[in-house]
Amino acid sequence: MSARRLRPDAWALMAPALLVLAAVTALPTGYVVWLSLNERALFRAEDFVGLGHYLRLAGDARFWNALGNTLYFAAVSVALELALGLAIALLLARAGRARAFAYGAVLVPWAVPTVVSARIWEWIYNPELGVLGYLAGTPVNWLGDPVLALHAAIAMDVWKSTPFVALLLLAGLQGVPRDLLRAAAVDGAGAWTTFRRITLPMLAPVILVAAVFRTIDALRVFDAVYVLTGGGPANATETLSIYAYRVLFQMLDFGYGSALAVAMLAIAGIAALAYARLLRGGME
Amino acid sequence: MTGRAPRRRVLRALAALPLAGLAGACSAPQAPPPADAIVFRHPKLFGDPQPLDTLVGLFGRAHGVRVRRETLPASSDEQHLFYAINLRARSRAFDVLALDTIWVAEFARAGWLRDLSHAISASDRADLFHAPLASVSWEARQYALPWFADAGLLYYRADLLAAQGLAAPRTWTDLVDAVRRVKRVRPDLHGFVWQGKQYEGLVCNALEFIWGHGGDLDRPAEPAVRGLAFMRALVTAGVTPPFVTTLTEEPARVLFGRGKALFLRNWPYAWRLLERSGSPLQRRVGVCPLPHASGHATASALGGWHLGVNAFSERAAIAERLAAFLAAAPAQKALALAYGYSPPRRSLYADPELAAAQPFLASIGTVIETARPRPVSPYYVALSQTLQSEFSAVLAGVRTPSEALAAIARERRALASP
Amino acid sequence: MIRRLGTWLGLAAACAWSLAPFAWQVLTSVKPQAELESLPPLLPSTITLVHYEAVFAGHPFAHLLLNSFAVAACATALALALGSLAGFALAKLRPPGRAATLAAVVVLSMLPPVATVSPLFLLAGAAGLRDTLTGLALVYAGFALPLAVWLMAQFFRSVPDDLYIAARVDGCSLLGAFGKVMLPLAVPGLTATGLLVFVFCWNEFLFALTLTSSTAARTVPVGIALFPGIHEVPWGEIAAASVVATAPLVLLAAVFQRRVLDGLTAGAVKG
Repeated sequence: MSARRLRPDAWALMAPALLVLAAVTALPTGYVVWLSLNERALFRAEDFVGLGHYLRLAGDARFWNALGNTLYFAAVSVALELALGLAIALLLARAGRARAFAYGAVLVPWAVPTVVSARIWEWIYNPELGVLGYLAGTPVNWLGDPVLALHAAIAMDVWKSTPFVALLLLAGLQGVPRDLLRAAAVDGAGAWTTFRRITLPMLAPVILVAAVFRTIDALRVFDAVYVLTGGGPANATETLSIYAYRVLFQMLDFGYGSALAVAMLAIAGIAALAYARLLRGGME
Repeated sequence: MTGRAPRRRVLRALAALPLAGLAGACSAPQAPPPADAIVFRHPKLFGDPQPLDTLVGLFGRAHGVRVRRETLPASSDEQHLFYAINLRARSRAFDVLALDTIWVAEFARAGWLRDLSHAISASDRADLFHAPLASVSWEARQYALPWFADAGLLYYRADLLAAQGLAAPRTWTDLVDAVRRVKRVRPDLHGFVWQGKQYEGLVCNALEFIWGHGGDLDRPAEPAVRGLAFMRALVTAGVTPPFVTTLTEEPARVLFGRGKALFLRNWPYAWRLLERSGSPLQRRVGVCPLPHASGHATASALGGWHLGVNAFSERAAIAERLAAFLAAAPAQKALALAYGYSPPRRSLYADPELAAAQPFLASIGTVIETARPRPVSPYYVALSQTLQSEFSAVLAGVRTPSEALAAIARERRALASP
Repeated sequence: MIRRLGTWLGLAAACAWSLAPFAWQVLTSVKPQAELESLPPLLPSTITLVHYEAVFAGHPFAHLLLNSFAVAACATALALALGSLAGFALAKLRPPGRAATLAAVVVLSMLPPVATVSPLFLLAGAAGLRDTLTGLALVYAGFALPLAVWLMAQFFRSVPDDLYIAARVDGCSLLGAFGKVMLPLAVPGLTATGLLVFVFCWNEFLFALTLTSSTAARTVPVGIALFPGIHEVPWGEIAAASVVATAPLVLLAAVFQRRVLDGLTAGAVKG
């Protein structure tokens, strides 16, 4: 039986999945672009406005503030998650008998729903009754200070997302050939040298993949921060997703809100492009 | 081949799990509410639901319908989000809606509320306070029935002030002095707590500071600048703790209720919770109108709830009756007796039974009657997005009052010119 | 010896950091109300279940749990069914253009939800699917499909071609070979994929917030985020609700630890 005869069926098997994907993701993506070119707000006549909303976007200080918050949030949280995740992965690789327990423990933050994690941290950060202020010995205004609040949100995200990075890197670590490490040890290389010269370069592709996955996730952060701070104080924690959602559903301005959404799409697109580039680089 | 049998069993078990869910999903919870039930959406009650259930049950028996109560989310912003999403989608999932005083104009203009002008009689109009009646009106028609009215009040520790020989503060200077004096003997105490988180409550607090300094969003900025500058100075001078930027009504009330603060700005509801048995502050709290800058008058923000009827409701006639029943004087009196809700009617403040049972309520009638509404406009929620972030920025010290007021004026102009 | 000690200390710290916040929420959920209004004490003097009772008695929380379960189960079933078919086709039938298809699937998985929520809101409204569990399940299945297709393609790729070809040569139809030979071999992959999809659906907030309104269709994350409490801060009840919402996932993750790890790492590392 030749392989060719099997082929025509392939599209039939994929059709249902592609159909659902088209209906739930591709079609709305086209629709949101169309909406962004139109006036679709409460109390305004529906009208085609072309790039009008994008011009408004360029001059909207709140958009730039949200963009800055989003980029800062993504950059810092991903960097911390990679560093911490690598450390935890290295530890887990040597967990020995405690392995099952340690894996289970590390998986807990991953399993906690995002909204729940926001509620958990909101309580921990409570200025009067929060355990963090109690441990610090003095009440700290974690969520009420513009600078602290964004970092408090980052810490929550690091807690929630580091397990994913750690487990990914752990899988990568297990792909590093033992012989190579043993050979390095025989040659008298220290632990640090072995790590820097062998482990890290071998791990680089996985680290990149983890970085891109996490970056894309962090760029679209919504529920965690929305529940934790609602975007305040002084819009210091308002991310692009939160701002877009507010315009869309608090003000019911589907035109301008969609332009904000398309801006998010563009940012995700850039990140996805970077990812594709990396993957191709990794395979060559 | 034999090795696959157990695997297949696992597979089947695995497949059965979601299928069970599928069956459950399609049968159980999706059924629309039975035709005889009308749904009443209202904010969470602060107290035992029994009295409201009794009231609603009374109505249900009289009209042969079942009324289901459903609670709204916690904050005003989340509640608005809920209504906006669902009414934009023409949802029929609720018939009678409790509406925050700031939404009626918007919802009415959007065509989401039934015109209820006919349900407010001439004697009702004479009886209702002016501001709540104005806030349910849009283009001279009424789209909701005033249910209860709120106004900002100052709660103070009468015991601690008396120990220093101080009276309740009349001006903001009095309040700041009192905090300084009391803190000298009680350095552990926070001075004045209020609602400073970036949300709708901050708008009320900030407007009260502005109004109490003779300012107004409509008029030249100078007094308004002084009001906002005073709000920020409360934090920098240590009169108000910095974490006021995280406080909403209830965290502030809990803080004060635990005896940790000298002054609290809050709505009338706090009184019952501070005075209930078991409260450490029983009979140690006083209430007075909000202070003002000397030479100006006190000004409280008007809050409160109205009852509207969903324009898409399939049971509009009976829903209208329920709204009218709950907003009539007898029901308002019952709710005032049970929950301390302050009614929006003059006559009830003269009611001897109510005055005897809720002397506090009777005493704040004037404050409620004179409370000032936030701008009544269909664009209020959009404007509030700017008010919230600008006031929050001033409070956090990242923006000056004049910058914030200029940004607010710009936004108001943009909203006024469609 | 010192290195060993260092490893253990590090591991202990990592476990503590991972467990402590949730453990604190568990403690909060069993503390008497009076002890929630001050700190110290850190530990509750007695353990109380009143907050759990309040969550189930005072709110339609049990209903939300049922909704969440139903939606997540339906969406998982749908995503697994469609995802395994497509993944199988991509991995074993190798149609022309499969690289482009896979790339498109990856790109779709990166869509920010907020970018499609407004069109979906309008479309679901037009289709009469707003505020229904069916609508929500469909959207979830769609959003989980890229992950399901991708993972199942990975898992099928590791099944030898010979088995499939042998089945076809023995006279099995295409679907027969898929159902009787390939699918049973892919059970670990199905489990892993199903777990990840289920967790995604259970946790989703944005679409649930936007596409549902009545208790009949709301899910647990929305319930927890919008916990009613305008004039009381129900910290104890929120904590209890959090624990109830998280427990099934923690349990799943513990029981199927191996599979979850496979699923989490399969896409990224092998890819």
